[in-house]
Amino acid sequence: MKILVADDHDIVRRGLKQLLTAQPGWTVVAEAKNGRDAVALAEEHKPDMVVMDISMPELNGLEAARQIHKQLPKTQLVILTLHFSDQLVHDIVEAGARGYIMKSDADRDLVTAVEAVSRGRSFFTPGATEMVLTEFRKREDLSEAARPFRGRLTAREREIVQLLAEGKSSKEVAVGLGISVKTAETHRANIMRKLGIHSVSELVRYAVKNQIIEA
Amino acid sequence: MPSILIVDDHAFIRRGIRSILQDSPDWNVSGEAENGRDAVRLAKELKPDVILMDVSMPGMTGLEATRLIRQNNPKAKVVLLTLHDSRELVRSAFQVGVNGYLLKTDAERELMRALAVVAEEGTYASPKIDAELVKKAMAERGERLP
Repeated sequence: MKILVADDHDIVRRGLKQLLTAQPGWTVVAEAKNGRDAVALAEEHKPDMVVMDISMPELNGLEAARQIHKQLPKTQLVILTLHFSDQLVHDIVEAGARGYIMKSDADRDLVTAVEAVSRGRSFFTPGATEMVLTEFRKREDLSEAARPFRGRLTAREREIVQLLAEGKSSKEVAVGLGISVKTAETHRANIMRKLGIHSVSELVRYAVKNQIIEA
Repeated sequence: MPSILIVDDHAFIRRGIRSILQDSPDWNVSGEAENGRDAVRLAKELKPDVILMDVSMPGMTGLEATRLIRQNNPKAKVVLLTLHDSRELVRSAFQVGVNGYLLKTDAERELMRALAVVAEEGTYASPKIDAELVKKAMAERGERLP
């Protein structure tokens, strides 16, 4: 397999080259220090595989990947990055790369990625899954924190929030749930206190925002 | 032949440095560590002449590791190898007592230069780092010494 390596850091390029050439049958045919050189060298050498950093001077790795993919559709691409973001995954896939690993990944992950991609499969950094989940949880925490929450609602209380937000009176709630009017009113007071709200219209807003009812 | 301990959490970087140094007859890589804690332990065990130290690593940073290594092994030379060139980091690094400050964007020949300079008891800073700032930070360190 003929491989082109592109990274602006000498030390990283050196590490990549050493690792890749240690695999039987793999040769590094060219090295580029920026995206522009990578595109030119790809055209010249027509490698089977390009292993490329994203942040490089002159022309970044994503743009270079796009150009290489367009000119040499048979050449496969594995992208190497320092950081991770959802947007980046999207951009990388759109640029035509099937492999994506991070610089913090282990050596063997790059070898696995190149191997998988050379067989027409895809390989994404093992860290990606973890980070997508972390991002997801962070967002959950944020939306939770944004709520005027003074205490968690019980399942019964959430049920009553929905009924009240739908415009039902305490009496209708009581009848609907088979509880006494007094109990329904106690629930209602607890809900208002826990959510730190004082009117039914605020309750409706809360219910809409939290998708308890539809707007 | 002076011995080197390579400390970096990125396997590609460790491999790259090892590969560069293996081509040079002047240096011997005696070990590798992927975090600050292992660096402190290996510095004690292997007594390397020079430690090439990354800064941002999980658990213990390179600066903290350097501080600890300085206590046990004051003769070891520490060259920071980092992506970051912020004034605060340069200042803290020389205050902690590193002997060299190299950027990951620097070329191979700068790595070789840095090693040669610190081995000769000198202080090295990447050409991309403000030399005045380094001088000032070192002076501040001098003032703090007993």
